Amino acid sequence: MNWVSENASLIGTLVLLGATILMLFPTVSNSSGKRSKLLGYLLIPVSLAALGWVFLQPTGDMVRDILFYVAGGTAVIGGLLMTTERNPVYAALWFAVATLGVCGLFVINSAPFLAAVTIIVYAGAIVVTFVFVIMLAQQEKSAGYDRIPQQPLLATILGCLLVGTMLVGIHKTFGPAEPALLAVDRSNLHVSSRPVEGDLGSPRGIGRTLFTDYLFAVELAGTILLVATIGAIAIAPRRPQGSL
Amino acid sequence: MSPDPSHYLVIGAILFSLGAIGFLTRRNLILMMLSTELMLHGVSVNLTAFSRFHDQHDGQALTIFILTVAACEAGLSLAIILALYQRTRSLDIRLWTTLGEEELMPPMADAASREVQAPSEPLPKLAPAGRRPTIGADGHVSSPIIVPPKGTGKGSKA
Repeated sequence: MNWVSENASLIGTLVLLGATILMLFPTVSNSSGKRSKLLGYLLIPVSLAALGWVFLQPTGDMVRDILFYVAGGTAVIGGLLMTTERNPVYAALWFAVATLGVCGLFVINSAPFLAAVTIIVYAGAIVVTFVFVIMLAQQEKSAGYDRIPQQPLLATILGCLLVGTMLVGIHKTFGPAEPALLAVDRSNLHVSSRPVEGDLGSPRGIGRTLFTDYLFAVELAGTILLVATIGAIAIAPRRPQGSL
Repeated sequence: MSPDPSHYLVIGAILFSLGAIGFLTRRNLILMMLSTELMLHGVSVNLTAFSRFHDQHDGQALTIFILTVAACEAGLSLAIILALYQRTRSLDIRLWTTLGEEELMPPMADAASREVQAPSEPLPKLAPAGRRPTIGADGHVSSPIIVPPKGTGKGSKA
């Protein structure tokens, strides 16, 4: 009980988040479907505000804070709506929105090269391919398996427990109570490719790290790409012409 | 200089959990794969936040590897999903709760199926070694197979 009263804000935020997700899920009955969905849309800003109030207090750097709130909010809203949207094409597009938000977070974390690569690979290749397959495979408007989710209540409870566990861990480690855990003595770190001042995230720095410390892994990744290409060609079904 | 990294970890945790919820609740094969990509996004946010916080490039290098693996995974999964779609004409995951196929024989033949496969007639036997096959006038080779019912083997010999 003591722990519960201490962490009331955390539990309240989690319950709010779970209620938002549950309200956003498509309901089975069509009569009451619209109202609960509207309630879910209304709950999104409330739960995000609660989340920001409890966990994401501004750090003082105003420009960075605003950018962070915009990018993080975009990512979380995109993820929320992708999870609960019943039309698969819209869900794929919401995933693209979430990708854009994540790329914004990359830019704030001084990884502009990664942001560009992520947009090219995800939004340019993966989402387009997924949308292609969805459109090829689903001629009818919306199939029954998209309208009815599988065990939404249990999955939401499980997801909220998961995120609650992680949030408690983050809060305990990075909270104001123990800042000593964060004090990393950077002079003792022995890494061969320490970035010089202002070099973090540049293609040059990443390339130097990749081809010195991670050279073997780079070769391995190339091999994986080759194997996946051959495997995809081998698995892909062949049809006479024009039909999927 | 470095902002609070816990903000990014919170966003990463939420994205990861949303992906997990999506993977559990979706019944569309393609959207299940997209949900796993959302989980990978959460991990990438964490990695870049730590990379920034420690002023090292390792997190960003790992994110590039995540991108590579995600691209491979997308290609392979779409090939598999198309192959599955050709069989059932549907993307529903519930059609694949059992991976066995009805029209195939069970892989291990039990006693009953072995009895069915046993031949009803006695099999023909090969001639003993050293006997030459006879070649007819029209070039037809009559192989010296001796069939157990009497008389027929001799007839072919002559």
